Amino acid sequence: MRTARGIQILAVLAASGLALAACGDAPEENAAGGDTAAEYSACMVTDTGGIDDKSFNASAWAGMEAAKAEASNVKTKYVASSAIADYEPNLTDFVNQKCNFILAVGGLMTDATKKISAANTGSQFAIVDSAIPDQTNVYPLQFDTAQASYLAGYLAAGYSKTGVVATYGGVNIPPVTIFMDGFVDGVAKYNEVKGKTVKVLGWDKATQQGTFAEDFTNQAKGKAISDTFVGQNADVILPVAGGTGLGTAAAAKESGGKYSVIWVDSDGCDVAAQYCSAFLSTVIKSVSGGVKEAVVAGAKGGKLDAAVGYKGTLENEGVSLGAYHEFDSKVTPELKAEIEALKADIIAGKIKVESAAAPK
Amino acid sequence: MTVSTTLLTVDELAPGKYWTRERKGGATLVGLGLVAAVLFGLIAESAEARFTLSDDAQGAALSINGKLGAVVFGAITVAAGAGLLAGVARRWFNVLLGAGVLGFVLSFLCWQVAGSFMPLVDTASGSLDLAVPLILGALCGVLCERTGVVNIGIEGQLLMGAFGAALVGTMTASVWLGVVGAITGSVIIAALLAVLAIRFLVDQVVIGTVLNLLALGVTGFLYERLMQTDAAGFNTPPHMQNLRIPVLADIPVIGPVLFNASPLVYIALILVAVIHFGLGRTRWGLRTRAVGEHPTAADTVGIRVRGTRYLNVLLGGVVAGLGGAFFTLVSTGAFGKNMTSGAGFIALAALIFGGFRPVGALFAALFFGFANKLAIYLSAIGSPVPSQFLNMLPYIATIIAVAGLVGRVRAPAADGKPYVKS
Repeated sequence: MRTARGIQILAVLAASGLALAACGDAPEENAAGGDTAAEYSACMVTDTGGIDDKSFNASAWAGMEAAKAEASNVKTKYVASSAIADYEPNLTDFVNQKCNFILAVGGLMTDATKKISAANTGSQFAIVDSAIPDQTNVYPLQFDTAQASYLAGYLAAGYSKTGVVATYGGVNIPPVTIFMDGFVDGVAKYNEVKGKTVKVLGWDKATQQGTFAEDFTNQAKGKAISDTFVGQNADVILPVAGGTGLGTAAAAKESGGKYSVIWVDSDGCDVAAQYCSAFLSTVIKSVSGGVKEAVVAGAKGGKLDAAVGYKGTLENEGVSLGAYHEFDSKVTPELKAEIEALKADIIAGKIKVESAAAPK
Repeated sequence: MTVSTTLLTVDELAPGKYWTRERKGGATLVGLGLVAAVLFGLIAESAEARFTLSDDAQGAALSINGKLGAVVFGAITVAAGAGLLAGVARRWFNVLLGAGVLGFVLSFLCWQVAGSFMPLVDTASGSLDLAVPLILGALCGVLCERTGVVNIGIEGQLLMGAFGAALVGTMTASVWLGVVGAITGSVIIAALLAVLAIRFLVDQVVIGTVLNLLALGVTGFLYERLMQTDAAGFNTPPHMQNLRIPVLADIPVIGPVLFNASPLVYIALILVAVIHFGLGRTRWGLRTRAVGEHPTAADTVGIRVRGTRYLNVLLGGVVAGLGGAFFTLVSTGAFGKNMTSGAGFIALAALIFGGFRPVGALFAALFFGFANKLAIYLSAIGSPVPSQFLNMLPYIATIIAVAGLVGRVRAPAADGKPYVKS
C-alpha cells in the first residue's frame, strides 16, 4: 500500500516537473482561430533552446512580431520544442492548422523540415540556418556570418596587446564554425596588412579542428576554456557557444579588464547587460531582420522563391559588427576607420570572405 | 553491483593463480610504457617543453627536451609495470601503479608540450575548479549510498543548489546567505528522496530520475519567470572572494592553487577529511556502515535504521548544496537553465570510481577535472590529439573500475534496498 502511495506522489512530482519545464515557454498563441480571407498566419517552431534563449529563437520570434507590426494581416503563433523528437509533430501540427507560413528555427531541424515539407507540398515552409535544395516550398534563411566575424577578427587583432586572440565553439557544426572561419581570416588579414604575427587559439581553419565546449549551457566549462586561453596569453576571446559563453563573459568581467570578449548573435550589451563592461563588440546575426522580411513579403502576396532564399550579408545588414559600447574610447579611430574600409571592400566584393560553412 | 561482487569472490577463492590483479596491472603498465617511450618518443618534437610555475608564460619554469622527456617518463612506466609483473609485495601495488600512471601522463605531456609551454598553476587550479562540484556531489553520494540509499538525484540537487544560491544570494546581497539558499534548495530534493525511498519504499533509481526532472522543471520555470525578466533583482549574486592563507600561499604552484582559493574549496577538502574520519572512526560512521551493509543486523542491536538513513540523506543534501553554490557564487556570476550540464552524473561516476569512499571520490573527481582541463588545454594549443578522446577518458576509467579490472569496487550490500521491519 505504502509503495503504491509513494508511486502516486512520484507521478505527481514527475508530471509537475515536466509541466513546469514545458510551461516555462509561455504559449502566447493568438486566440483568433478562424482563417479570414486576408489573414496570413505565420507559425514558428522553436528548437530546443525555447523562445527565451536570448539567441536565435528569441531573435526569430522578434522578427515575427516585427512583421505583425508592419503588415496588419499577419497573425503569429509559435510552439516550443522541448526535444528533437518534437520537431516533426510540431511542424505537422501547424500544417494541420493551415498556417500560411511555417518557420523552423535552426539547422538541427533540417531533416524534420525536409520530411514534413515533402509530405505537404501545399504548405509554405521556411528554415533558419539551413537550406533544403530540392524542396521548392522551403524558403531558406541563411547568414554569411563569416563576413561580420572577419571584421571582428580584424578588430580583435588590432585591439590585442599580447598578440594572442582566441575563439571557441559550442559544437562543431557549420552555423558555429562559420563565425570561427571568418574570425581567423580577419586576424590573418590584419597580420598581412600590418606585418604582425597575431596568433589565434582555438580554431584551425585548414583542418577545421579546434576548441569546443560540446555544450551550449555549461558556463563552468566556458570559464575553464577562457582561463586556459588567458594562460596562453590571449586577451580577446570570441565564444560562439550560447549560454556556455556567459561563463567567459563573467570571468572576463571578474578579471577587471585583463581580457575582453566579443559576443555573438545579438548585441551583448542588450542580452547580457550585466557583462557589458567586458564586451568589446558583437558579431550580430540579425535573424529577426530576415524573418521579418520573409513574413512581410509572404503576407503581401509575394512569392517566396526557395531557389533565391534570404542570405544575410554585410550589404543587407543581415549580419554586422555591433557597437563598441564601453570600449568606444579604447578602440583607436584609425582601427575603426580601417574596419569601416574593410566592410566597404567586402560589400563591394573586393575582399572575398570564404568559409566551408558559408551558405551557397 | 552483484556482478563485481561475484568477480571479487572468484578472485579471492583462487589465490594461487598466476594472473593476479597486480600482474594484470603490471602487464598493462608495461604496455602503456612501451607505447609512451617508443611512440611518443618517436613523434615528439626535439624541442624544449616548458612547464611554467605561474598561470601564464611568465616566471620560472621547469624545462625538459620533449623527446627526451617522453622516452624517460615512458621508461619509468615500463619499470613500474615490470616491478608489478615480477611480483613485488602487495603493499607496493598502489605506489607502483601511481608511479606508472604518472610516468605515462608526463611522457604524454612532454610530447604535447614540446616547443610550447604549459602553465602549471592554471592547469592545476583549472582542474580543481572543475573538480570541486564533483567532489561535493560525490561526497553527497558517499553519505547516501553508504547508508543504503541510491542517489541518482545528485544532478537535481546541484541544480537546485546553484539556483538557490543565485536567488537568495542576489535578494540578500550576501554570499553566505546565498550558500544557505543553496543548501535549502538541495535539501528540499534530498528530503523528497528520503521520504519516497525510506517511507514509501519506491524504487530509488526511479525517484532519482524523477527528482532530476523536477529540479530541471522548477528551476527552468522560475528562471524564465523571475530571473530573465529581472536579472538585476534575482540573478546577479555576489561573487565569493578567494580566501588567501598567508605564508602558505607563497609556496610555488601549490600555494596559489590550494591556499589562495575560494572558501568552498577549503570546505570541500575539509569535508573529505571529516567524512573519511567520521565513517571510519566514529559511532555515527559505524552505524551508517552497519545500516548500509546489513540493516536487519543493525536493527537487531538497536540502531534506528530509518533514522540513520534520513539523517544521512539530508546531510548529503547539505553537502550537494555547497557543490551547487560553487556554480553560481564562484565559477560564474549567474544562474542559467540546466547550467550543471550533467555534473551530478559525473559525480556519481566519481563516487563509483572512487570505490564509495570519500578519499577515493576526491581523487576520482580530481582526475576527472584534470582530464577535462587537459582536453581544453590540448585543443587550445592545437594538438593533433582529438579532445574528444580526453573527454571520454573519465567514463572509460569508470567503466574499467566498475568492471573490476583494475580496482575493486563493491557497493554497500544493502544499497538501494528499502528496509522493512519484519
